[in-house]
Amino acid sequence: MNEIKVTSTIDRPVCLLLGALGGQGGGVLIDWLVDAAKRAGYPAQATSTPGVAQRTGATTYYFELFPEKNPPAQPIFTFFPASGDLDLMIAMEPTEAGRAIERGFVTDCTTVITATERVYSTAEKVSAGDGRIDAAPIIEALGKATKNLIQLDVKALSAGTAARGNAIAFGAIIGTGILPLTAEECRASITEKGVAVESNIAGFDIGLKAADADPQPTSTEGGLTHNAAPESFTSDIAAFPASTHDIIGYGIARLIDYQNEAYAQLYLTRLKTVCDVDTGENKKLTSEVASHLARWMSYEDVIRVGQLKTRPGRLSQIRAELGVDAGVPLKVTDYFKPGRDEFLSALPKSLSWLVPNLGNGIALHIQTGSFTGYAMLKFMAALKPLRSKSAQYLEEQEAIEQWLDAVAKTAAVDNDLAIRTSNLAIMARGYGRVRKTGLTKLNEIFADWHDNLASNPAGLSAGVDQSILLAHANPDEA
Amino acid sequence: MDGGTALARVTQGGERSFTKEIQKLTLGKGEEFHGEGILAVTKALLQSGVSYVGGYPGAPMSHLIDVLADASDEILEPMGITYEQSASEAGAASLLSASVHYPLRGAVTWKSVVGTNVASDALSNLASTGVKGGSLIILGDDYGEGSSIMQERTYTFAMKSSIPLMDPRYDMERMVDLTEHCFEISEASNMPVFLNMRIRACHLTGSFITKDNKIAEFNANNPIPEQIYDVSKIVLPPASYQHEIAKFEERLPAAAKYAQENNINEVFPGAGGRLGIITQGGTYTVVMRALQRLGAADAFGNSDIPVYCMNMVYPLVTDEIVNFMNDKDSVLIVEEGNPNYIETQIAEIAHRKQLDCRVHGKDMLPMAGEYVSNVVREGVAQYLAEEGPEDIGKTALDKNTVIQAKTQQAQSYLPGPMPPRPPSFCTGCPERPIMAALKLLMKERGKFHISMDIGCNLFGSLPPFNVGNTVLGYGLSLASSGAIGPALDQPNVAVMGDGGFWHNGFTSGVVNTRWNKYDSVLVILDNGYAAATGQHKVPSTGATPRGMASLLSIEDALKGVGVKWIKHVNSYSLEATIDVLREAMNARGDGLRVVISNNECMLARQRREKPAKAAALKAGQRVAHEKFGVDEEVCTGDHSCMRLSGCPSLTLKQSADPLKATPVAHVDETCVACGNCGEVAHAAQLCPSFYKAEAIQNAGVLRQFSSAINRSLLSMMGAK
Repeated sequence: MNEIKVTSTIDRPVCLLLGALGGQGGGVLIDWLVDAAKRAGYPAQATSTPGVAQRTGATTYYFELFPEKNPPAQPIFTFFPASGDLDLMIAMEPTEAGRAIERGFVTDCTTVITATERVYSTAEKVSAGDGRIDAAPIIEALGKATKNLIQLDVKALSAGTAARGNAIAFGAIIGTGILPLTAEECRASITEKGVAVESNIAGFDIGLKAADADPQPTSTEGGLTHNAAPESFTSDIAAFPASTHDIIGYGIARLIDYQNEAYAQLYLTRLKTVCDVDTGENKKLTSEVASHLARWMSYEDVIRVGQLKTRPGRLSQIRAELGVDAGVPLKVTDYFKPGRDEFLSALPKSLSWLVPNLGNGIALHIQTGSFTGYAMLKFMAALKPLRSKSAQYLEEQEAIEQWLDAVAKTAAVDNDLAIRTSNLAIMARGYGRVRKTGLTKLNEIFADWHDNLASNPAGLSAGVDQSILLAHANPDEA
Repeated sequence: MDGGTALARVTQGGERSFTKEIQKLTLGKGEEFHGEGILAVTKALLQSGVSYVGGYPGAPMSHLIDVLADASDEILEPMGITYEQSASEAGAASLLSASVHYPLRGAVTWKSVVGTNVASDALSNLASTGVKGGSLIILGDDYGEGSSIMQERTYTFAMKSSIPLMDPRYDMERMVDLTEHCFEISEASNMPVFLNMRIRACHLTGSFITKDNKIAEFNANNPIPEQIYDVSKIVLPPASYQHEIAKFEERLPAAAKYAQENNINEVFPGAGGRLGIITQGGTYTVVMRALQRLGAADAFGNSDIPVYCMNMVYPLVTDEIVNFMNDKDSVLIVEEGNPNYIETQIAEIAHRKQLDCRVHGKDMLPMAGEYVSNVVREGVAQYLAEEGPEDIGKTALDKNTVIQAKTQQAQSYLPGPMPPRPPSFCTGCPERPIMAALKLLMKERGKFHISMDIGCNLFGSLPPFNVGNTVLGYGLSLASSGAIGPALDQPNVAVMGDGGFWHNGFTSGVVNTRWNKYDSVLVILDNGYAAATGQHKVPSTGATPRGMASLLSIEDALKGVGVKWIKHVNSYSLEATIDVLREAMNARGDGLRVVISNNECMLARQRREKPAKAAALKAGQRVAHEKFGVDEEVCTGDHSCMRLSGCPSLTLKQSADPLKATPVAHVDETCVACGNCGEVAHAAQLCPSFYKAEAIQNAGVLRQFSSAINRSLLSMMGAK
């Protein structure tokens, strides 16, 4: 009936899998490949499963090309990528390349081209801690698992151009030489498709070169900025172990900016009590406390927010983000919703009766880009000298002392538990209700700390771990 | 959408254009078509002389409906083809009634199995009556990877209603040829015919040589001279008993006979021998590639093992199966989906005909799940190893073992599982704030059960919102809440899109609620389209898919059945939305309370506004460029904003501050400035780190001037 008798030296098509997220232009990239194959005269087939995945989910496209023009018969093309004969895997995001391994498609015959920048999933974003999956070990796994790995730092590669990731990936695909398509045929396909031709050709050419280049180290996000403390503090800092100098210097700089030098001295005095009982070799307890203490002591009240929002350079940074220069009219609206507590924070306790109950707070849209809005925030920032008389200040300092005391007492018994106890400071976070709940919880934990430390250290330890776990994993219910 | 804005919006038109696709549909004899699978099938309909086409959109066959809508002036009207996007699949199936008495060919389409469920009332009646004109039902089989629905088989419907089911081999030339055969099979058997198209087949690309489009003898431009009355076509006794007998004595045998005479099913004899594989047309290429990977076939389908490829999977052609199995010791049936109807029928044939041939199938292949390449390769390897001659079996086993080992080796390097990425609301989606509002309302008054509907709204059931408890079907959220409210001592709470409202929600939900006096809150997300399927028009969009102005108002419909409590919200004003929802929840005793959110689908809006903005910028007109941002220093890094948003543009960034242990929030350049993040920060009293920035490009002289003054005042205060 359907007898086929043909021979060819080629036993299968070249197989290509593309993994992308909705909106990354995977469909356009596949269209280019299909058109280029047709243009060059190779039989080919593409397919995809967009479905609702186009709504921001992960999706895949699959392409097969038979690398012989005018073959003796119609080759069999199929729909699914499979293990052991996938020649090319292109991922527009590194965990999508990881997913291709996970699903068993990538083996040592596969060349993987992956964009290196992470696009975080909802699961990673919603963690109250750092829920991010690190791309580095995935890239490392790709390097080991594949025949060849090409990394595309799309941001760096496209800098100064309007090129998009999909066009760069197209160039890189052709750059590997795995498909028998020429750059000319591909450029013609981009032109024919007629979508953003100029920038896509530019992107294609960038990718073409990138495939040949030596692997570039992935550009990391900006490193840490350690502002140093003023020189007058040098001798004070020297009294602490060397490994903690950077973070302490930063803490001092932060608190001077936040309040004044005296406040920074208070920081050092407090830190000293813990450092003195830190028996750990690497002084991890001291550096952990140095970090938590500085952050806690610079808790954000309306004064601080006013200060940060009127920081010189902020407006020009916003302009840069929008890509507009200094002459373009700019409107900046800040979202503020101070409640009674937030106003109290700026007032001495004796005046608290002045502030009415504000219910859920007053929703303010402050026009920081205009001189009136800016002046208002400037005024808030100028209340700084009043801070140390405010109700919130007193409450926070009390909580800090209670926490420090617990940490120091614990360190005398169990250094490791003391480090974990110091981490409970993460519960002093947020604003309004969130902050209030956190501080109340801390107070509950530390109320009977000394007795528990003596009578039930194991129970205490488990309780600390549980609190930290909850604070990270289930913060809204905690 | 109500209020007149809808009409203005859709008549602007031009959201999407299918000009290139339409050109392909006009190709004539001997020309080459190159394009997507579902478009090729559409062309086959035009080549078959259809008089009418209809359907209800849904992945993966939406394209067929979209393209025909756009082609109506240029192609359909001159050919006299009646076209409609029906209000539901039941409506689409009912169109086929035109082929009961009259020699009219027609085709309808929808997503299966869900659409077939909805259509089954009409289908059962149609299948009982039988048809005169060729009647085709094109099913977009949403099964396996990329599917958004429950995993079931359409085969059941074919068997229960005796409707021939085609599952074509996905070679585009053959697929088009088989589509044309469907009409002949339908006319030969007097039954409608199902044409099953898998997701990947709808989206596959390929080529075929076209024929001229064929104008039907009778069509809207050349009507049938007179109506026909024939009581034997009415589904009432005694005719209904005759229909049942006809199905099994005349119609199904006729379909099988046509298939046999026209080589609908295909035998690929390969190298012969005593093994054989029987497979659906749709899995043929998967089987062939599995054989190739196991060293038993080449790249062109020359196989060591004979293959019987069933392009018509119901009814089976018994003679062909007996012929194929007669000289075999065993066969492997590669049949995707369950129950394994084909396998059990073949086993019955083997038993009745006393064939000495073992039947393998689900004993070597998994019962559930899509038959992807690796799954089929494993099953075929097992079959060749257990039943095959030593050389073939050993080669297959060795090759399979090598592939497995290499795969495991690669997987062993991975540090851990990759993050799941389920679909979610798009950037700027107006439905996102509704889910945030419901989540915040639950914090305030405790959790309550919410019945969700089909469509984008269902993503609210997923993280980060987790606010939907059940989903029962399209337009059924309100109806499905009926026994839940009383059981939990809460009002019935249901969320529904405008698509769901018109599909089934109005009658099964609203009318039922009014009639049975529910204590209900219905939240209607009226974004102007059936957005999840790809921006399809619904009766309240403002125009038909063909572009004719037509506005059915949700509010008028509600008022028409006596709903008194109707309030509109602008979902982007989150606190106001929460207030209205709270009020609706509290108004127990007021019957049905309906809260309607009227904001347009953001994808649709951006499709229109983005190019308009770009053009205005180029032309030197005033353009506001808006974006939200996060003050990194102010952000506390506890990500509570993310837990109330899930916006793709609201993401994480490494903080430069060494005191921050966690990454800070960051709004990337894809932000469309919907304002939700700022609203959420207000409503939930989160940190004041969000800001909105608006740059006015090509500003007028006056604005330039005031801006310059403002800047100098700012700089006097030390701002930079």
